[in-house]
Amino acid sequence: MPLLRYIAGRLVVYGLVIIFALTVLFFVPRLGPTDPVEAMLAKVASQGAYMDPAQVDTLRQSLIDTFGLGGSLWEQYGAFVNRIIFSADFGPSLSMYPTPVMELIWNALPWTFGLLLSSTLIAWVLGNFVGLLSGWRPNANSSRVMEGIAICLYPIPYYILALVLSILFSYVWKIFPLTTTIRGAPWSWELVTSIVWNSFLPAMSIVIVVFGWWVISVKAQTTALKEEEFSRYARLKGLSDGRILTRYILPNAILPQITFLALQIGLMFNGSLITEILFDYPGLGLLIYTAVLQGDFNLLMGTISLSVIAVATATMIIDLIYPLLDPRIRHR
Amino acid sequence: MISIDNVTVGYGTVGFITAVDQVSLTIGDNEIVGIAGESGSGKSTLMRAIYGDFSTGLGIKSGTIAGRFTDAASDQTIEKPSSQFRDLWWDQISYIPQGSMSVLNPLMKIEQQVVDGLPKRERGGSRKDLRARIAKFLAGFGLEENVLDAYPHQLSGGMRQRVLVAIAAFVNPRLILADEPTTALDVVVQKKILLMMVEIQRRLQNTLVLVSHDLGVHYQITDRLVIMYKGKIVEAGRTADIFANPQHDYTRNLIASLPRLHGQRAVDRVGAGA
Repeated sequence: MPLLRYIAGRLVVYGLVIIFALTVLFFVPRLGPTDPVEAMLAKVASQGAYMDPAQVDTLRQSLIDTFGLGGSLWEQYGAFVNRIIFSADFGPSLSMYPTPVMELIWNALPWTFGLLLSSTLIAWVLGNFVGLLSGWRPNANSSRVMEGIAICLYPIPYYILALVLSILFSYVWKIFPLTTTIRGAPWSWELVTSIVWNSFLPAMSIVIVVFGWWVISVKAQTTALKEEEFSRYARLKGLSDGRILTRYILPNAILPQITFLALQIGLMFNGSLITEILFDYPGLGLLIYTAVLQGDFNLLMGTISLSVIAVATATMIIDLIYPLLDPRIRHR
Repeated sequence: MISIDNVTVGYGTVGFITAVDQVSLTIGDNEIVGIAGESGSGKSTLMRAIYGDFSTGLGIKSGTIAGRFTDAASDQTIEKPSSQFRDLWWDQISYIPQGSMSVLNPLMKIEQQVVDGLPKRERGGSRKDLRARIAKFLAGFGLEENVLDAYPHQLSGGMRQRVLVAIAAFVNPRLILADEPTTALDVVVQKKILLMMVEIQRRLQNTLVLVSHDLGVHYQITDRLVIMYKGKIVEAGRTADIFANPQHDYTRNLIASLPRLHGQRAVDRVGAGA
């Protein structure tokens, strides 16, 4: 019963976060001084096409309908939330008219998810493994070297690292492609290798930076847990180091790391923006960038809403996994 | 069982801080020995040295601590200095820690924490048999079978301490060392647990060494008592004799400081200092 309450609580929070984010998303652009309809009309007029006032009015009306700007603010808000939640419809892209925004997003989403999920998980597993071992033997030379590397890596802003990697490995030494070009028929071996080849540098730029943070945090956990009374008791029971490490230290050290993972996935979504732009990677980040540059209002709304929903979902999934790992939450 | 010969124990690798100073003591088979003294008297350090827990800079400077164990199954006699007792942990020797919240792994079920570290001779049979034997053993401590499937945070302080006593006793060792096993508990639960420890010792016919600052605890269960003060043994003998006729001033003061049911504490009447 407490478990059901925990799950229900998480689901309610999940819903509230999304509604809140959509509300902010709805109101913030409307606080700005620019009217997207007038901006659009000005753009059309500046291209030199002549329209008589009646035509301009028709165009204005149709733009207002397309943008969902008719009626009072509350009517607009209701229609906006309704459209997103019940039909997942963001209208057509303005810069790539008439392709629907959702289609562009669906094409970009697997790229971003694939890149972020794989690189975040690789960094998480590697970082926790190295950090656990170096926390277990903090005075060993290998531990000191690993910690030194981790401390040097983690303050580097990942876009600087991405830039350096790109210059070194695509420009100076032409090992990896400078921009992403995917080749190969669907589901062919060539396609798979092409994706891995093109994703390697962007993924590395994320893995390397995040790795350092995982090493440092899990190392601190391990060192503290080693001094816990249950570790001492396990040692006095005559248990082997391996067993103490895997059954006593590891499960306790990994729990907070799972919470951090959820937070990290949220942060990664921001990070992917610059990584994708730098490597010309066809994901959600690049799409957001294009939308901003082209003033594509619908596409911007769509990509940002989807990012919010994706991050909230990832966090919720991790929160729901948590009780499986921590009996103190499972049996409260 | 254990002979301690003129041993000096302390901490530190560069400088040496003496905690136990030239102590000699013999602990026999089939008895309950209490070690009493104030904080910093060296009683816990002596216990760690007997257990052979030479970590965190603990070391023997001079003298010896040696043990002699007769394996019940093979009837072989093992003789070792305590620095090599590690092989005998959770086999011939077990240990009852002071039961705080964090002495049991919070993410492991009680059943696994009983099984973890058990010697081969106690593990025999299938997992199901073993579970049944543990459940039966725990029943003797007033713990129901569902405790096996519980996690530490689901148990009360008294239950956790009984689990710790049960874990140490289930090993069926020749020597059990207990470090302040009842300190954090109220007197009613404390009494129950002490009686359980006596009962186990009488049944297993092994040796129990009990470290506590609480003279009341020693009075209730120990056969022999050792009083430590500033790293030295100031008095040792049969518990009843010590309480009836304390020889050393420090012991006399300790006993006088015990609260009494009727009238004032002896210490208030004597008004003794030091």
